[in-house]
Amino acid sequence: MARPELAVPLLELQQITVAGRDRPRLEALDLRICCGERVALLGASGAGKSTLLAVANGSQAADAGQVLWQGLPPARSGRQRRRQRARIGTLWQDLRLIEELSVQQNLNAARLAQWGWPRALLNLLLPLETAACAEALRQMELDPALLPQPVTALSGGQRQRLAMARLLRQQPSLLLADEPLASLDPRLATQLLALLLRQAQAPRALLLSLHRPDLLVGFDRVIGLRQGRLLFDCAAAAVDGACLRHLYGADAAPP
Amino acid sequence: MRPAPPLLLLLPSLLLLPLLLALPGLVHGGGWDLIAEFAGAAFTPSLDPVVLQSLLAGLWVTVAMALLGWGTSLFGGLLLGLASSRTVWRTLVGQELPAAVIRRLLAVPRSIHELLWGLLLLQLVGLQPAVAVLAIAIPYAALVARVVSDLLDTLPTANLEALRASGAPAPAALLTALGPPLLPGVLSYGGYRLECALRSATLLGVFGLGGLGTELKLTLQSLEFHELWSGLWFLLAVMLLLEAGVGLLRRRWTMPRRFALHQPGVGRRGREMLLALLALLPLLLAVGWALGVDPVALGHWQPLPGLGSGRWQAVLSLPWLQLVGGTLVLTALATGLAVGLAPLQLLLAAPWPWLRRLVTCGWVLARLWPPPLTLLLLLFVLKPGLITAALALGLHNLGILGRLLRESLDDQSPAVQEALVAAGSGPRLALFYGGLSGVARSYLAYGAYRSDVMLRETVVVGLAGAVGLGSQMLESLSSFAWDQLAALLVVYALLTLVGEDLSDRLRRRLLRRA
Repeated sequence: MARPELAVPLLELQQITVAGRDRPRLEALDLRICCGERVALLGASGAGKSTLLAVANGSQAADAGQVLWQGLPPARSGRQRRRQRARIGTLWQDLRLIEELSVQQNLNAARLAQWGWPRALLNLLLPLETAACAEALRQMELDPALLPQPVTALSGGQRQRLAMARLLRQQPSLLLADEPLASLDPRLATQLLALLLRQAQAPRALLLSLHRPDLLVGFDRVIGLRQGRLLFDCAAAAVDGACLRHLYGADAAPP
Repeated sequence: MRPAPPLLLLLPSLLLLPLLLALPGLVHGGGWDLIAEFAGAAFTPSLDPVVLQSLLAGLWVTVAMALLGWGTSLFGGLLLGLASSRTVWRTLVGQELPAAVIRRLLAVPRSIHELLWGLLLLQLVGLQPAVAVLAIAIPYAALVARVVSDLLDTLPTANLEALRASGAPAPAALLTALGPPLLPGVLSYGGYRLECALRSATLLGVFGLGGLGTELKLTLQSLEFHELWSGLWFLLAVMLLLEAGVGLLRRRWTMPRRFALHQPGVGRRGREMLLALLALLPLLLAVGWALGVDPVALGHWQPLPGLGSGRWQAVLSLPWLQLVGGTLVLTALATGLAVGLAPLQLLLAAPWPWLRRLVTCGWVLARLWPPPLTLLLLLFVLKPGLITAALALGLHNLGILGRLLRESLDDQSPAVQEALVAAGSGPRLALFYGGLSGVARSYLAYGAYRSDVMLRETVVVGLAGAVGLGSQMLESLSSFAWDQLAALLVVYALLTLVGEDLSDRLRRRLLRRA
């Protein structure tokens, strides 16, 4: 394989601007993420991290600029668009599990982009693709015996891992995560981050927003976002105290 | 192998299959030009001042009847509800038995549809405005009483016991401990009953008890579609105004404080409600006076033939099995249509917002339009019978269930659906997995309750001929066969009581697992 710099980037944002009420939520933002890159996104609350991730997974349209997924702009046809979106997996901060369904049905919900109605209906009646679901759970260090359990029976940590297992079940090439560690205790946060980083190897890539600079170990690159603008984009090792002070400076965070 | 909630939601739609299979055989030759003419007239309603004046007069009568019937039922129902509450009796006299007795007795007026009450009273006291008012008030009061007592008896009583233990007298303790938590439920149910009362008053008019319903039926029968649509648009305007007004008051009075924009002063809500209640009484009196309701005239009963002279042999030889069976099949088919079609329509329309809006508009018209009028319209192109009756009944209830389904979907956070769409699933599957999962159980529980209502309502599509107890009852009534009518009423009441019990169990089971 060619060097990552030469390969087509999985995600490319060109001069992205998203308007906001007082000031743009994102302003003329450029970003390229290539295969195998694990990128952390830092910034104070309100800096535009969530907006950036929403633009990256296509749920928020940009007011100006261009998004390219594997070198291609958003497709016009619904079917092509869905195929593009299936390649992007998002780990939501509120997890967004379907509370009324079982663990296995939730895992299989990640395959709905590929499945038609017959299999979607059958999934609600019978255990489908049990082996693949069990494997996804095992990769997240969950017991496959949980498969028939209702989601409501899981603990907080188990739910978090299930959401990550569902992400794997989708088999995306670009992983996006919106502050997935925000509501976890430090030990669990470190464990889950390690699991996530292990999954995000070439040909995949990871873009993860977080607000704890102490967890940057294991990332290749760090992006600093301040008031909707790119403040720095450098190797993880190059991030130092001055950088962070500038990023989280008292004038940066709106009240 | 237990189907998951969203799949459960699609199960009632299996009952649509027999309807679809039977439909082609039911179509008779003519009538399509009439349907086309009817549909076209929607956009060219009659603007003739004479027509409009008579329609407006009819509308006023219908609204007045609905308002009076509703107001009476609300006051009566609240009192009866207190009287049939176990908690109230236990607190006041330390004995629950009277509550159970009153509750059983109230099941009888509840089990008989307002149309039957109307037709019975019509025979008894002759045509006068009070007939429709009473016909609405009697079953509604019993329904309100049941809901009030159910709400009361499921409230936690810890507060009440604490007040009693500190020496508060029983009535004051009841009012303080149970009044405020009871209020939101009573308000939202009361508002819903007002919408029902408007539909009932229109329906009673279709059967000749006066008001807009009578006008609508006459214009339909004389094929004056333009005049018919003028009336329908009026009715639509009133119904939408009512729904919006009720929704506004419900939000204003039942919204939790923490969501309110401004902190209202202490007791503001209580004062507003008291004022509204005080304003309601003179309003009801004025409406009653303007409508010409005369309580004295209600006292003059026409003599009825004694039941002792009944020919019971002939009554026994009625095809009972067929009558009961027909009623049950009619209920099942109508339920399948109403409960099953609404989610299917939303799924179908999911990718296109404009189609979703169109479906919603269709639902508004469906619940606006009284079932017997739908039936008359269907009879232009379909043969009379069970399926046609089920279509008319089901379509009306589809309008009510569809609105409920859409509202509960709108109340739910769209996050899960958005997540599914972002992961590449299509809009229909996203709605199916992410949207319908959350509302399935409560929707089906409401569907179970609604099937019980439809069982009671089968009488209103009795016009379709030979479709169960309802048709037989209308026939016996018009031939003054009092012996038959009495027997039919008893059987019908028993059937609806059993149906109510079954639908209650189903509803509780669905909600418990939620």
